[in-house]
Amino acid sequence: MKFKLIIFFFIIFFSKNLYSDETSDWLKREIDIILEAYKNQNLSNENRFLLIEKTINNNFAGTGIAKFVAGEAWKKSDKSTKKIYIDNFKRHLALNIASMMQGYSDQTYELTKSNYDIKNQVTLIDMEIFSDTGSVVVTWRVKESKDRFFVIDLIVADISLVVTKRSEFNSMLKKVDNDLSKFNEVLFDQNQLSFEKITQ
Amino acid sequence: MSKKIIILFFIFFSLLSFKVIANSADQVNTDSEDFDTTTLEDEIYDPFEPVNRAIFSFNNVADRIVLEPIAKGYKKLPSPLQSGINNFLSNLRAPLVVVNQLLQGQGENAVQSSGRFIVNSTVGVFGLFDVAERIGLEEKEEDYGQTLATWGVGDGFYIVLPLFGPSNLRDTSGMVLTMLTDPINAYAVSEGEAWLVPMRTAVNAVDTRSQIIDEVNALRDNSVDYYAAVRSSYYQNRKAAINNVDDSELTPLPLISIEFE
Repeated sequence: MKFKLIIFFFIIFFSKNLYSDETSDWLKREIDIILEAYKNQNLSNENRFLLIEKTINNNFAGTGIAKFVAGEAWKKSDKSTKKIYIDNFKRHLALNIASMMQGYSDQTYELTKSNYDIKNQVTLIDMEIFSDTGSVVVTWRVKESKDRFFVIDLIVADISLVVTKRSEFNSMLKKVDNDLSKFNEVLFDQNQLSFEKITQ
Repeated sequence: MSKKIIILFFIFFSLLSFKVIANSADQVNTDSEDFDTTTLEDEIYDPFEPVNRAIFSFNNVADRIVLEPIAKGYKKLPSPLQSGINNFLSNLRAPLVVVNQLLQGQGENAVQSSGRFIVNSTVGVFGLFDVAERIGLEEKEEDYGQTLATWGVGDGFYIVLPLFGPSNLRDTSGMVLTMLTDPINAYAVSEGEAWLVPMRTAVNAVDTRSQIIDEVNALRDNSVDYYAAVRSSYYQNRKAAINNVDDSELTPLPLISIEFE
């Protein structure tokens, strides 16, 4: 009986580590695509962003995050408004991540730690980015669905991107009476401004 | 003597008033029905939002015109020099870190921080080199705001301080306590070198700002409401500092569902 238990725990422990390694390998590949895009001088700024946007949209749980950050306003909205909002949000997310990663593109990094949170079925991967004067840790939260991995949040200096976005969106949504269609206009305008900045 | 009385009165008044104000702050709850996926609390008690937004705008302009350009210039200094300044400033904070660790009952950490201060002040040439880190004495920050929080004092309302930026009632009081009790500042004043106090604050601001140039710019350039984004970031960061979270494990976890179109 004891032996069976030991084998059982061994398998659980081993498979958990194997799973974390697989997630880290996948994440490293995707991060490298983004960082390589910044290093590729042959790409125009616009094409570089479009490549990064595609990578982010393929690997982030964009729709789920969009719904989460919209909060109350989501329930009240019709299908077409939600669709426009999701498109706007995905671009917004890509602009945010691209802008942040741009700052890290000339630095080296290492995926230092990977833990699987059994309760929430989420893998937490620490990425340490090194500069001449120190380092910063970015934690990626990754969830698996239908044999694919999706990033559900990014944490820098204990600050969650998703929690910050929700707070920010709720503040703006209150100003437009939780009307998602009006908010879409605000988000679209902001995306235009951010897009101009990142591609200039 | 009179300074001591002022400090004691200040602490007493702070603790008394916090209990009242913190209670009202704690009444702000998020309706779990607001969000499909979680019951995470994300409301921040900000009754003076219009005033705070005005001060925030002023700070933002000051940052763009003064602090950010200086921080960018500072970032161009040789990295050993930047590290030296950062280590020196960090070492100056150490005595108060020890005091706060003791006030929070963190005896072991207080011993470690004292060791850091002694090693870095001597072998590390007045704190310019972080020798202590290399022998396993890890740096841990604690301040009066964190101490008050550990004692059960609530956040109070959110405040944006001119030039100093985001804070709340508890952390502002903590900052005032720091200014009043910092032994390095007190020594500088007693020696007739009071100018060193604002100088130290300014260099600290530039050093800190230089470390977050990219992050601040990414947030500022891509926010639909930059004020709300900074407010949320401040609270998340402080919450982690109070709980002494070294990594993301205790950060609230949004339970995002994955949906396919």
